[in-house]
Amino acid sequence: MALSITTAMPTSFKVELMKGLHNFTGASNRFKMALFKATASGSGTFGAATTNYSQMGSDELPTATGYTQQGKFLTSVTPVADGTTALTTFSALTWTSSSFTTSGALIYDTGDSNSACAVLSFGGDQTVSSGDFQIQFPTANASSAIIRIA
Amino acid sequence: MLSTAGGVQLGIATTSAVSGRGFTPEELAEHAVNEVISIGNNSHPVIQAQAEAFREEIRAVMINYLRQAVASNNTTLINRFRDAGHPELVKLLEV
Repeated sequence: MALSITTAMPTSFKVELMKGLHNFTGASNRFKMALFKATASGSGTFGAATTNYSQMGSDELPTATGYTQQGKFLTSVTPVADGTTALTTFSALTWTSSSFTTSGALIYDTGDSNSACAVLSFGGDQTVSSGDFQIQFPTANASSAIIRIA
Repeated sequence: MLSTAGGVQLGIATTSAVSGRGFTPEELAEHAVNEVISIGNNSHPVIQAQAEAFREEIRAVMINYLRQAVASNNTTLINRFRDAGHPELVKLLEV
């Protein structure tokens, strides 16, 4: 069975927000992004029901050719308001000198037992060969920011 | 009438990959302006035109500085190669 990734905010993350378990303030080196394998190379299902990084298991890219398991730390931007919407975002993240194929990513909080914050599907396999792979986050405004509370 | 529209929402992240090389200043500047400036389709045409003009100005400035950053980093690498006794490697950085 192929890897199935649906872009979603985990339901558990919404609950955890209300419990005050995630702190996005300042470049606080606690949120990480890990990459999934290519669609045909994995078998799990990830989306709103994903709760923790540990669920990635063998569906995470192996440590090799530019990628290290557990992924990279994200630089978070202190939450702000845009009109009546609260939002936060991250700085773009780059894997350099890399060779791999990935189909999605998981953002998780190392400051809260690796709980899942966002599941991102890339809409298909993305391949880099001896080059750079970058994730760009949308403009930090009320209609586009990566994480918003409207 | 009361409205309670809202909720916790997730935006759309995008990916870029280049193979056999790194990103160029032009490519990185494009990523950066997309992150900094978003122009809504429903904005007034005059506002859209102003935003587009501003976006192009920002892009040009960023490309200029990114190119300077690459050149400066090459200067640092050239000095390291020479200090390490490998001046022949300097030619690899000359474009």
